[in-house]
Amino acid sequence: MKRILSICLIMVLILSLIALAGCTPKAPAGEPAPAANEPVAKTKVKFAVQADSTKALESIVKAFNEKSELYEVEAIILTNDSGNMHDQIVNSLSSKSGEYDVISMDVVWAGEFAAAGYLEPLDTFIKDAGWKPTDFNAGSVSSGKYKGKHYALPYFSDLGFLYYRKDIVSEEDAKKLASGEYTYDDLFAMAEKYSGQGGTKYGYVYQSSQYEGLTCNVNEFTANWTDLENGLKMMKKFTDSKATPDNILVYTEGETHNAFLNGESVFARNWPYMNGMAASGDYTVKVDQIGYAALPNGGTVGGWILGVNVNAQNMEGAKEFLAFIAGPEGQTINATVGSYLPGFNALMNEPKVLQANALLTDEAFQKALQSTIARPVVANYSEVSDVIQLRAHEYLSGNGKLEDAVKNIGEKLQ
Amino acid sequence: MRKMNAWLDHHLGYVLVIPALIFIILFSLWPVAQSTRFSFFDFQLNDQQKSGLYFTEQYNLKLMHETFDYIDYYLEIEKDTVKQSSTQERIQDTQQEILEIYESIQAMFPGQTGIVSINDQEHEFLVKASDQVLAGLEALYRIEDDFNLQEDIMMVASELETSIIQPNYVGLKNFQSVLRDPRVWQTIRVTLFFTSISVGMELVFGLILALIMNKAMIGRGLIRTFSLIPWAIPTSVAALMWAYLYNGSSGIVALILARVGIVEQATDLMLTSSSALWSIIFADVWKTTPYFALLLLAGLQVIPDSLYESAMLDGANKWKQFLHITLPLLKPSILVALLFRTLDAFRIFDLIWVLTGGGPGGTTESISIYGYKVMFAQTRFGYGAAIILVMALCVGVISYLYIKFLDIQLISD
Repeated sequence: MKRILSICLIMVLILSLIALAGCTPKAPAGEPAPAANEPVAKTKVKFAVQADSTKALESIVKAFNEKSELYEVEAIILTNDSGNMHDQIVNSLSSKSGEYDVISMDVVWAGEFAAAGYLEPLDTFIKDAGWKPTDFNAGSVSSGKYKGKHYALPYFSDLGFLYYRKDIVSEEDAKKLASGEYTYDDLFAMAEKYSGQGGTKYGYVYQSSQYEGLTCNVNEFTANWTDLENGLKMMKKFTDSKATPDNILVYTEGETHNAFLNGESVFARNWPYMNGMAASGDYTVKVDQIGYAALPNGGTVGGWILGVNVNAQNMEGAKEFLAFIAGPEGQTINATVGSYLPGFNALMNEPKVLQANALLTDEAFQKALQSTIARPVVANYSEVSDVIQLRAHEYLSGNGKLEDAVKNIGEKLQ
Repeated sequence: MRKMNAWLDHHLGYVLVIPALIFIILFSLWPVAQSTRFSFFDFQLNDQQKSGLYFTEQYNLKLMHETFDYIDYYLEIEKDTVKQSSTQERIQDTQQEILEIYESIQAMFPGQTGIVSINDQEHEFLVKASDQVLAGLEALYRIEDDFNLQEDIMMVASELETSIIQPNYVGLKNFQSVLRDPRVWQTIRVTLFFTSISVGMELVFGLILALIMNKAMIGRGLIRTFSLIPWAIPTSVAALMWAYLYNGSSGIVALILARVGIVEQATDLMLTSSSALWSIIFADVWKTTPYFALLLLAGLQVIPDSLYESAMLDGANKWKQFLHITLPLLKPSILVALLFRTLDAFRIFDLIWVLTGGGPGGTTESISIYGYKVMFAQTRFGYGAAIILVMALCVGVISYLYIKFLDIQLISD
């Protein structure tokens, strides 16, 4: 009897194991089609995006959800560390998951994602919406173009430029900065000169931690990779100087805007978003204390673009939301609420946008807009950028030689 | 029934291990086999031509369909912008010509989608078809007229060649490049340094802690519990805590080290290679010493008291007792603990990832972190798998050395 029982138990065990092994999780079934005349349950559209320090994203999502009868957008906020965000998105997309429908991408990712076949080509979509690619910001659109096809529309365009404290810097120096006719040596001299004045602690803050922001800054210091040696030397000079914080080598955008907006630094290199934060009035430094200037060798083009996951669970909804956020409605909200540079060109002359975004009417800023430089445009971008960050940080932190950094970065850029 | 019973009597043991075997195959051997398979291919997820494991030539039908759609779509736009009606007719003809090629390709793969494998004959045909399309377009663009999309169309048409996928089986090439990759050697050096120093320190401190915990005294239970707290905290949480302590502008440990003069400035702590690595080692020692002590404590408790009593009667002092009774009898426990900790330390990832991310300048990058970066940031899964297998090989060699050591010990007992 006992024996029979044990046989039965073993059989049950084996059978249940086999059953378990065969039991792969089923994909969730598609949402049932809403029946006519009933109150419609809106289909979700998932938007993978980095956190927005202004209220623009929230307002856009709200506006769309109020307007749309069929779809409801849910913003999935990913990490603000763009490197980690890239890995997270690649992980999801490469497993062919439909977890995200619309994706916000750093301009440098689009080539890689398009080459990998992660993104839906958008040419027919753009045409059906009644637009042309030239209706959008040229820099952003071209970074979303791969092998003759458009894969992305601008979310907001971006560029690095110099902020300075108008109330501290002398009129003469301000004029020099605004003209754009100055060098990093001049900036260094000014940073040392004004450091400590007007309640500040530092002269100049910029991004020098070992991450993507360092690649942007090296790009600017080396005049778009044309003069690696002197550019890196100049960065080292700033790093070692008392005019920059001792821990400048861990500075990202967050540290930069904290230092500048809390009145700790006279100069700062940052993106336009910092002006939006200043305009919110939550910080010590107010907008009327801030002046703008182009960087000596031009500012790196940045910004974020929007693409549609080729395996999106809700393709129709994704495209409808994309049309909203990249089109005049979403871009107006982005420009007025968040002070972002609109990616939809026609808005550049819109009084409402100009009024909300003092930057666009500033002459020195317009100079900066015209002197932008791009990061390397290559298929294996993250590999190249990784080497640049590694070697530059190694040299700047005193762990490596200048010659090695120049040689290694130079080789990788070829 | 009786026969079956007799069979079971003999084989019950085997039947009972079947579930365990299934689990081992499913969760241990299968992933390892899969990684090994990856390492023989130039497998890159971010390249459509390499995002699969192909022994033979393949054809990407989806890309092919998309390409023909695009060429037609762009030609349609060109038709609207050109000035002469003769050019419009030429475009019409080209479209027709390309459509025929498209249909002939479609006829080759009836009802198939996605990526299909092709033979030499099909390959030749597809290459010819692709050349024909390109030649047709080039001929069209030799006409003088207002074309706008030439560059785009040619680029799109070049995807017909990309649709033909070469086999990406590379044999042992990935391993060759791993052995030639200076960054692999650099990370192995860092990992070995980290492993030997941290495990060595954990052995010394763990032994002291175990001896204290083994003493009969008041509050022994409390001491044992509290000493385990560092080990009980999740590594990433502990690492974040240390990141605050080591922080150059607000960390108390960084400040103290700077005051004492061990580092020049508080901010240098995480920014110079040697001090960053030592900071990581220190955090790891803090975290895993209790675990080491726990393993040794178990060994200490099986040493019979009678040995110490007779040693005492023979007049041996405490130090001699430790040297001649405790240490020899504890040896098996020590070796097991060393083996566990060495293998663990060699795979260090989370602590370094949170504390430095591999910086400054890659000087604290362990081999696991490099493997992660290659696989998940650059999605080079083939090369990444090769790195991980080389690492597994190192782990295997270490375990072999230890186990050989252990065996000798057990036999001589």
